[in-house]
Amino acid sequence: IVSQPAKILNFLRKQKYNADYELSAKQGADTLAYIALLEEKLLPAVLHTFWVESDNYFTVTKPWFASQIPFPLSLILPGRMSRGALNRILLTRGQPPLYHLREVEAQIYRDAKECLNLLSNRLGTSQFFFGNTPSTLDAYVFGFLAPLYKVRFPKIQLQEHLKQLSNLCRFCDDILSSYFRISLGGISPAGQDMVDANLQKLTQLVNKESNLIEKMDDNLRQSPQLPPRKLPTLKLTPAEEENNSFQRLSP
Amino acid sequence: MSLVAEAFVSQIAAAEPWPENATLYQQLKGEQILLSDNAASLAVQAFLQMCNLPIKVVCRANAEYMSPSGKVPFIHVGNQVVSELGPIVQFVKAKGHSLSDGLDEVQKAEMKAYMELVNNMLLTAELYLQWCDEATVGEITHARYGSPYPWPLNHILAYQKQWEIKRKMKAIGWGKKTLDQVLEDVDQCCQALSQRLGTQPYFFNKQPTELDALVFGHLYTILTTQLTNDELSEKVKNYSNLLAFCRRIEQHYFEDRGKDRLS
Repeated sequence: IVSQPAKILNFLRKQKYNADYELSAKQGADTLAYIALLEEKLLPAVLHTFWVESDNYFTVTKPWFASQIPFPLSLILPGRMSRGALNRILLTRGQPPLYHLREVEAQIYRDAKECLNLLSNRLGTSQFFFGNTPSTLDAYVFGFLAPLYKVRFPKIQLQEHLKQLSNLCRFCDDILSSYFRISLGGISPAGQDMVDANLQKLTQLVNKESNLIEKMDDNLRQSPQLPPRKLPTLKLTPAEEENNSFQRLSP
Repeated sequence: MSLVAEAFVSQIAAAEPWPENATLYQQLKGEQILLSDNAASLAVQAFLQMCNLPIKVVCRANAEYMSPSGKVPFIHVGNQVVSELGPIVQFVKAKGHSLSDGLDEVQKAEMKAYMELVNNMLLTAELYLQWCDEATVGEITHARYGSPYPWPLNHILAYQKQWEIKRKMKAIGWGKKTLDQVLEDVDQCCQALSQRLGTQPYFFNKQPTELDALVFGHLYTILTTQLTNDELSEKVKNYSNLLAFCRRIEQHYFEDRGKDRLS
């Protein structure tokens, strides 16, 4: 069982699924750099929005998770993940001169907004980050942005900011409509198959990412000459899809 | 800092030019300073040299506690104290000197992304090696970190710092990594930097930027510090363009200026 996005991507790469055939060395390096930027600047705010902000946590995230996990765990795991998220935010960002949680929150949201602006600048008017074919970086960015964009939260300051960056919204919508046959009304919660105690909320994003990468790779393999424009959309029922993919990948 | 406080500080910063007696504080060079702190300090020194701003380096045993954010290095300019490369770059910008003005938006985004990559991977790897790898901790770190203090304070402080760093590593998911995995990450990071640098003299062609200062600080320190094993510096030595890059910056900004200043 493989958890965490970076490890999953490495695992897929070793199994010879790779969306980055067409990237130059420099673009590969850029991918790593942007991933680090996302993890450092955007992730704390996303974690906060999902797990620490009490309105959001109690009305959306907790019931969402609890509905997918069997009974006794549903009482424990979300709380643990929430505490883990808060811990991570405080330990990495909560040093002096920021002494109060509110100041830390202000700082991380400011960083996140700056990060979104940077992503928007980088994307510009192109369809994906490196031209017209999607790559690992697109999957990663999508994994962060899509829940932020689509999930209906009570407290939505980051979502508001994202909505103002129209090219990022267009990017999310494009990927959602090409690769996931999900109505643009809301996201269906992905099935939680991994019962790893150190699970973070990125599991859900990771499911989407690994599905996305696999599909992209399959398509790229089937038509090596032409960059695929019209992709066959697969009917997605997340739980089944996950099972299938694991059966295929395990040796 | 809140937005208001930041704006206020920039206003004050903009009001005066860079004084002659600006000082940079770090821990004692010979006995106390550790790999990661040395890297950060060197990065700031390189940055200031690149901006042509004079700075005097002062070594104090309690530099870490003097710093407003708890991290070294910090600079004392006029009546203000600013610590860490990020805020120092902003402070210097408020005074009117900047290395990255010539970059467009996309390049600025790239520069920030690469700086985060270095901080995320190289710095964390250095911290891991210093504080979570038992061999290094026992032989080098503990002895150095507590060296200015009498017994038992030196042990207590070292253990406290180690505990703190281990907590942080656990929170970001590095707690379970083995040394080999960490070295592999360093290798990946160096590969990315090497590919980005290519054959150019600096990361954004002709002019050095704060990214160059940061990369130089870390790589030079890794290459020149002796640890219990040399694997970390071996990883960096695999990339010849990074070695040339370090040598170039060293020659250009440290040796020439050093001669003037020492005399």
